[in-house]
Amino acid sequence: MNNSLEERIEQIKMANATQRMNFFGRLLVDNREMSLWEHDTKLLSWGVRRWRRKALKFAREYIRPLATEADLHPHDYDPKPILSAAARQGFQTMLLTPPLGTASILPYYRNTVFQLAVIGEEFATECGGLTLLLLAHNLGVAPLLLSGSLRNILGQMIPFYLKSYILGRPDCMAFAITEPGAGSDVEETEGGALAKLVTTAKHAPEKGGYILNGRKCFISDGAIADKVTVFAKLENEGIESWTCFLVERGMQGFSVGRSERKLGQRASDASELIFDNVFIPNKNVVGKLRSGWAINRNVLNYSRPVVGAMALGHGRGAFERCLEFCRKTYLGPKHLIEYQDVQLELADMAMSLWAARSMIWHSCRQFRCYQSASASAKVFASDTAFKVCNQAMELMGDHGYLHAHGVERAWRDARLTQIYEGTNQINRLALFEHHLSTDFKV
Amino acid sequence: MEKEPVTNICAEDIVHYQDLARQYSRKSINPIFEGEYSDGNLSLLQEKLKTAFDIGIAAAPDESLSGCQYGVWGGAIDETGIIPSSLILSTIAETCGGVAMCLNAQGVASNLILQAKRKLTFIPVKVAVGLQEGFCPPFLGTITSPDKDDPAKSMTTAVQKGNNYIINGSKSFVYSMSGVDAYVVFACVGEKWGCFLVEAKGKGIEKTDVGVRTGLRACCVEHVKFNNVQIPLEARLDDGDARSLLIRAMSLNWMGMAAIAVGIARGAAAAARKYAAERYQGGMQIEEHPAVKMLIAGGESSIASADATLYSMQNGPLATFSGLKKSATAKLTVVDLCSRAVTDCLQSFGGYGYMEDYGMEKRLRDVTVLKSASGSPVYLKQLIFDIEKEGAL
Ligand SMILES: Cc1cc2nc3c(=O)[nH]c(=O)nc-3n(C[C@H](O)[C@H](O)[C@H](O)COP(=O)(O)OP(=O)(O)OC[C@H]3O[C@@H](n4cnc5c(N)ncnc54)[C@H](O)[C@@H]3O)c2cc1C
Repeated sequence: MNNSLEERIEQIKMANATQRMNFFGRLLVDNREMSLWEHDTKLLSWGVRRWRRKALKFAREYIRPLATEADLHPHDYDPKPILSAAARQGFQTMLLTPPLGTASILPYYRNTVFQLAVIGEEFATECGGLTLLLLAHNLGVAPLLLSGSLRNILGQMIPFYLKSYILGRPDCMAFAITEPGAGSDVEETEGGALAKLVTTAKHAPEKGGYILNGRKCFISDGAIADKVTVFAKLENEGIESWTCFLVERGMQGFSVGRSERKLGQRASDASELIFDNVFIPNKNVVGKLRSGWAINRNVLNYSRPVVGAMALGHGRGAFERCLEFCRKTYLGPKHLIEYQDVQLELADMAMSLWAARSMIWHSCRQFRCYQSASASAKVFASDTAFKVCNQAMELMGDHGYLHAHGVERAWRDARLTQIYEGTNQINRLALFEHHLSTDFKV
Repeated sequence: MEKEPVTNICAEDIVHYQDLARQYSRKSINPIFEGEYSDGNLSLLQEKLKTAFDIGIAAAPDESLSGCQYGVWGGAIDETGIIPSSLILSTIAETCGGVAMCLNAQGVASNLILQAKRKLTFIPVKVAVGLQEGFCPPFLGTITSPDKDDPAKSMTTAVQKGNNYIINGSKSFVYSMSGVDAYVVFACVGEKWGCFLVEAKGKGIEKTDVGVRTGLRACCVEHVKFNNVQIPLEARLDDGDARSLLIRAMSLNWMGMAAIAVGIARGAAAAARKYAAERYQGGMQIEEHPAVKMLIAGGESSIASADATLYSMQNGPLATFSGLKKSATAKLTVVDLCSRAVTDCLQSFGGYGYMEDYGMEKRLRDVTVLKSASGSPVYLKQLIFDIEKEGAL
């Protein structure tokens, strides 16, 4: 047979070549034409899959149209509508299952934060700042749950669920551990022991509570939060006395100081919180007295995979927008996507993202998140995302640095994921610390 | 950092150029950054750039101006080599990459005009060069012959009509000081390159700002369209084939960008060292933590390699393919090394690195733009391979 080159190529394409196999051989070949996203989604259980699809839709409908403006003029947009839209769709109550939350029940009891990680990735493909705005809230809620105190869980979560999911008027929460003089120190054991902490709670038995003084900094959603879980040492004691207090907006002496101007994730604020003789009633003590350090470290165990997933979303957003650019843009007679060097770069980016996703999903696949897996997923995903965003910008040449394409925004957003929730250096040490008595025994 | 003296340039010269640039940074650029925004008060910029002409740091085609010969990429570089200009650029970039980029763009365009083979009818002061069309600068095939689709031909054309040339086409991502008097435009004249001086106010010229950008915001970037722009025959700068001018422009531009990246990274490393000595975490200054030492030392080693690469180009021929290959390599490797250094140094600041306060986020934005601008890594690798394969041509 004298086939032309084109015909020959057509014949040996896998889908056509498979037809020459016998029936059983054909059954073993997966020739389904499906996007990477669909392939991954099909791996998920029904409940998680449902949230992944829902989050993608929400991201495109609500986050995408707001993203550019909220990044350019973070002080001029109103975050309330998007917060309440997210709440009505159940995204703000994902830390519990019905009747107190909206997470799908079966997957939740197998992999607590998996659904949130999946949502975080989808949201973050569109805008890091708006994702942080919506997700930092969970960080604020987490101490209530991880304290294990039924009083806190029921007392706070029932009204919250009703307001948020049923009425669409969610309270926004924030999580405050960082102080001007203690950043890494509150995320790391040895540093913790040496930390110079300022925020202090003084017992006031006559008033039935505590008097809080001090300040926290860089608190995401700090300026808009209705309630903040604040960690403070008890008077005349050290960090081992750290206790979590629920501080509510409007409490006398509680105010918001400066809001930082940051490189990315600009749609959410990072604010200083000032506590000047704030009276905290006993009912607002979260969990047991002096259990704050353990709650804090455990919150980080649960939140780091989600931060990794957000990073992954930034990387994927950059990749998808870059792909679109390569599809549309001509270089001479051909589109960029038709050039082999461009294909190699795009493939490399997709593979890196895939690897990061595998790691995040792996780290979430248990009921209790643990330190080493969470820290590793966060470090790997954030480094990967930053690398992929750089690749995307570079591939687009001068177009890469224009705000209009949204790729550089993902790049700016991704850079933060290497810093917050513990710098990637501190997270590496966290992995080591967790296995000191096993793998890394000295 | 101490500099080894190189051919044609002695240690005193190096100190002289650095001092000049440092003084300019201190007196003129620092005041721009006294406000609260990390990109500075850009409304002061034009006045400060004027000072750069007055003290001779900015090159200009006008011989009555002091920078004409010894400003950045001034007429004297064929004798002095590239070090004086790269030193000035890198020293200024320690304070602001965007201002350095203005001087680089001005210098490249001025240098081309100073190569003119005939007396020009008008001598501009502020100038810019249009190198790029569409997606990226020309590939080797197109540098060799502008009408070759290899892979993308030049769409800007110049056609002689009586005593004039008529220019049609467009240039994208034209970097400048803003408010330029003239553009140096490369266009296809038959099968050859022509290089033309086009008055910016001329009829048929349309400029559009490229919009909000990640970094190097002190430098203006525009797309410029030429619709039947008429210029006199004397405004042609070359002698019938502008290929060597095109190569010269690309080489100088990339070497300048590499020098700017080194400066930005040096500024970042110095800031990181200072911060690491001041910040306490874990019961000690963070400079005592190996994690921080590794970040900063890794960055400083990258800068040293980048610096060495730049220095090695001192006597390289500018307008040849081998020179072009060297400068493409410099842009590719130096900017990459420096951007890694900057991001590592930023990491040593923790959360403060991400905020505008210490200027680290600006440095990261600026150096990242350099990577993508005027030739992405993928483009540069292709060009480097092709030049080697085709030989000296
Ligand atoms: C935009 C943003 C949002 C944030 N949101 C929140 C929030 O909602 N709530 C909250 O509580 N916090 C928040 N943070 C704080 C964040 O978690 C800290 O910034 C982070 O943990 C780093 O702390 P730091 O900034 O004080 O850096 P530092 O601790 O000062 O670190 C500086 C450098 O020193 C290194 N280093 C420090 N100690 C050690 C050590 N012992 N060993 C080795 N290396 C060390 C670090 O790795 C880093 O490179 C936010 C930060 C940012 C930037």
